[in-house]
Amino acid sequence: MSGIFDKNNQDSALFIGGSRVSGQEVRAQNVMAALSIANVIKTSLGPVGLDKMLVDDVGDVTISNDGATILQLLEVEHPAGKILVKLAQQQDTEVGDGTTSVVIIAAELLRRGNELIKNHIHPATVITGYRLACKEACKFIADQMALSVDKLGKEALVSVAMTTISSKILGSYGTFFAEMAVDSLSAVKTLDFRGKPKYPVKAVNIMKVKGASARESSYFTGYALYRPFTSSAMKRSLKNPKIAVIDFDITKTRMKMGVNIVIDNPDQLEAIRKREADISAERVRILLEAGVTAVFSTRGIDDMYVKMFAEAGAVTVTRVPKDDARRIAKGTGASLVTTLANLEGDESLDASSIGTAELVEQVRLSDDDVVVIRGAKEQQASTVILRGANDYMLDEMERSFHDSLCAVKRVLESGAVVPGGGSVETALDVYLESFATTLGSREQLAIVEFANGLLSIPKQLSINAAKDSIRLISKLRAYHTAAQTADADSPRSALKNYGLDLHEGKIRDNVKAGVLEPAMSKIKMLKSATEAAINILRIDDMIKLLPEQQKEDPHAHM
Amino acid sequence: MSAAVATGASKMTGPSAPKKQNDTFNQMDKPTQVRLSNITAAKAVADAIRTSLGPRGMDKMIETGKKEVVISNDGATILKHMSVLHPAARMLVDLSAAQDVEAGDGTTSVVVLAGSLLSAAEKLLKKGIHPTQIAEGFQYAAIEAVKILEEISTPINLEDREFLLKSATTSLSSKVVSQYSSVLAPIVVDSVLRIVNPSVDTNADISDIRIVKKVGGTIDDTELVPGLVLNQNVITSAGGPTRIEKAKIGIIQFQLSPPKPDMDNQIVVNDYRQMDRILKEERNYLLNLVKKIKKAGCTVLLIQKSILRDAVNSLSLHFLSKLKIMAIKEIERDEIEFICKATGCKPIADIDSFTEDKLGYADLVEEVESNGSRIVQISGIKNAGKTASIIMRGANQYVLDEAERSIHDALCVIRCLVKKRALVVGGGAPEIEISQRLSQLAKTQTGFQSICFQAFSEAVEVIPTTLAENSGLSPISIVTELRNRHANGEKTAGINVRKGTISDMLKENVIQPLLVSTSAIELSTETVRMLLKIDDILASR
Repeated sequence: MSGIFDKNNQDSALFIGGSRVSGQEVRAQNVMAALSIANVIKTSLGPVGLDKMLVDDVGDVTISNDGATILQLLEVEHPAGKILVKLAQQQDTEVGDGTTSVVIIAAELLRRGNELIKNHIHPATVITGYRLACKEACKFIADQMALSVDKLGKEALVSVAMTTISSKILGSYGTFFAEMAVDSLSAVKTLDFRGKPKYPVKAVNIMKVKGASARESSYFTGYALYRPFTSSAMKRSLKNPKIAVIDFDITKTRMKMGVNIVIDNPDQLEAIRKREADISAERVRILLEAGVTAVFSTRGIDDMYVKMFAEAGAVTVTRVPKDDARRIAKGTGASLVTTLANLEGDESLDASSIGTAELVEQVRLSDDDVVVIRGAKEQQASTVILRGANDYMLDEMERSFHDSLCAVKRVLESGAVVPGGGSVETALDVYLESFATTLGSREQLAIVEFANGLLSIPKQLSINAAKDSIRLISKLRAYHTAAQTADADSPRSALKNYGLDLHEGKIRDNVKAGVLEPAMSKIKMLKSATEAAINILRIDDMIKLLPEQQKEDPHAHM
Repeated sequence: MSAAVATGASKMTGPSAPKKQNDTFNQMDKPTQVRLSNITAAKAVADAIRTSLGPRGMDKMIETGKKEVVISNDGATILKHMSVLHPAARMLVDLSAAQDVEAGDGTTSVVVLAGSLLSAAEKLLKKGIHPTQIAEGFQYAAIEAVKILEEISTPINLEDREFLLKSATTSLSSKVVSQYSSVLAPIVVDSVLRIVNPSVDTNADISDIRIVKKVGGTIDDTELVPGLVLNQNVITSAGGPTRIEKAKIGIIQFQLSPPKPDMDNQIVVNDYRQMDRILKEERNYLLNLVKKIKKAGCTVLLIQKSILRDAVNSLSLHFLSKLKIMAIKEIERDEIEFICKATGCKPIADIDSFTEDKLGYADLVEEVESNGSRIVQISGIKNAGKTASIIMRGANQYVLDEAERSIHDALCVIRCLVKKRALVVGGGAPEIEISQRLSQLAKTQTGFQSICFQAFSEAVEVIPTTLAENSGLSPISIVTELRNRHANGEKTAGINVRKGTISDMLKENVIQPLLVSTSAIELSTETVRMLLKIDDILASR
């Protein structure tokens, strides 16, 4: 019965406009693609991981240690590889950290899954086993490994930021930047309308200024804008400014398309010209009469009108990026004014759309003038000024700093941390192996492989640090086994916090050493890596269609 | 395309076909060659998607000509994306699409079944039975099979939620989202029940169920939303509100931007005062529109997408935000009907007809952010029509797309139950039952009919066979044991994929709508009959 299809095996009779690969072959291909992607980034894992230099086709250079950034710049062709790239990006947007680990785990799970399938275990069994293992693992992290931040205090936050930064370019200035990350993020705390605290990472303004060393980076509350005042005739600083954020041009008014100006007397020409200038001049007057002393415009202001502002003692900043304009508006309590029209059909400026701050000033940073708004009324903003030797370094510093901000935010919002340095992975490995033995079905094998797959993280960490991974990991596993077999209140249970110390090449209590990661990031990482691995393992057929022919343009006759 | 077909066909006629042009017309065995080539091509299609049948079926990854990647387990989707060239093979692709329209589920089974029927027909052809006789015999067999199915089915009541949940779960179990079936099945059942009146309706319009997909989060976060969800975001560039309680919702199909005169229309200005008038006129025009909208009491404005003119401009948005009206633009034309039905408002094509009775009322319209994406939720709708909205979440676009297809299949399953309120069990049980009864019937008949019945009965066994194969079980021992159980009167015995044994499917809660099985049998038989009747392929321009 089952033989009815055997005669016309595979491609022989199926005419499709492309090629087709099935069964074990496609699985091998997919796993190979995933492994080669993981291979690219695995040496950048951990505090002693190394960076990659990526050069694109126009010669732009990026130097990075961040998994998501590296993968984004790689041109991955293979569809299974693309899934892993997406995985890293998703981890980046949802968590902001752990992008390298998620790819390494997914690839390792794939490799081990494929081995199982080669040994005649049905893919469906492997998949069920992985799912079960992932569920147990997440439960274990939440119940056993997670520590509440409330108990640990601000130091825990700094430690979390430290842990993230330690693997990046900023690693050598760990504490300095970690504290900066925690402070700058705490400053932008807001409550949503349900009263839940939010820490918008975006509200931390990161500025990159070339020159000086990383050590000279600084942080202040207030909002800095990488633009100078429009005219040097304006004051350098202004106390208690009344701020208007506008989103329209103050230039000579042009009539719309379709409006023709026809005059029959040269005198009228002058009148029209004057009127063109006056319409905007009136707008300036409206602004000034409403008491506005600082104007931030997303567009341009003509010199003529700049002069009017300057004479009135007001300051203006033009061509403010729209994102910045929105944040300034939000912070100072102003609103982004797109037009001056009011409900009577005339033009005026509503008092409610004017914001206030304590000080607006122009300061000089390196070679550039920067406008800083301090003491904004509604919401405090933080500005971090990063200094570095060159653009590549600055870019990478920004990414690292951003990652640590994300990590701190996760901890602040979810309130739980786990020890880092491979300790969670090792604990899970020990736990899942013993969990697997409680099952009598074939899934047992998949769970054991899942458990061993997680060990790839501590293994890779120690390999990157050029330490004896076998010795370290066996010792670590012994500690964790001891911790899990001990009673909850016996002193041995504290061994569960032990992880790697990559600089010394030994193991230590990572909670005490302050190597902490957000618990939520670990859980999310496991979940997404498992999902992605399952996604790829389920595929047993790949059809690649030929690229579509460009339809001939019927109009392009010669 | 026609060229490709021609080369395909000529290749199919194979080495035995002579190359000389005129000879082809004199060749007596050409019809048989064509038939066999068609059968081979069609069987190849069935073979290609065979491994994705059942709860342990695998997925296919397809890279389309545009370099997009599709990963799917759904027969209809796979075949749609595979660019099959042979015309006979294309008929199987269409067959799968037809099953998708008719029943929505069982798109893989229908093709596998057709493939198996074709290979049965091939054997009969070789015995020298005339193709029309085979076609006829299969038709009778199919009619009998449907009768048998109806006989062994159990009627259900739509009030019985348990049964609906079980059938939705069965449909979801073969998909990538299977482990979430406990989350998705209730969503599917509730959303269908929301749009039908169980005592009156005999069909359900699935387009009344709206699925909004957002990347981020996991499938666990998928939910059935009370009220309506919009994919579009609230326009906040002018600082308008994003949350409105006790909202009155209006849908407009006109634009809030300065009117555009016809092409060659020029406005001639010859005095500077007129320049002011033009500017002021524009303001007044928009202000009037917005004021009228406000006067009708509207607080949430949905604006249809427009091509020729901007739907809104910064000036009108400014007015709207001043009057505390929430504005959402880019509503697609085909969404309007659904939104109107869901919110109880009527589309307004002209400002003069903007009156209060055309507005819909909702307790809360709010833009919410979750898992990194923003959606507009409208809840507490008064006079809501029979619609349902589902927000789907998933880790990436592939998962999301596949989850949507799975949900669609499950929705169709429930719709089938609304159409034809009867269930059969799954796990290959009905197919074995059909096979056994048909083979008994074959013994009561004589002539080609008897042979065709026998062949049909054997062909149907492909479903349990494939199920067993895909689950990593031994098909021979499983199918023979199944036969044995059914011969002993256990009509609901089927393959328990999870345990790898035979058990009572009713107890395992593996059930599917009758309509899926009957339409699979009917549609596949019809396609096979059509293929059998073809005796020549000609390339035409």
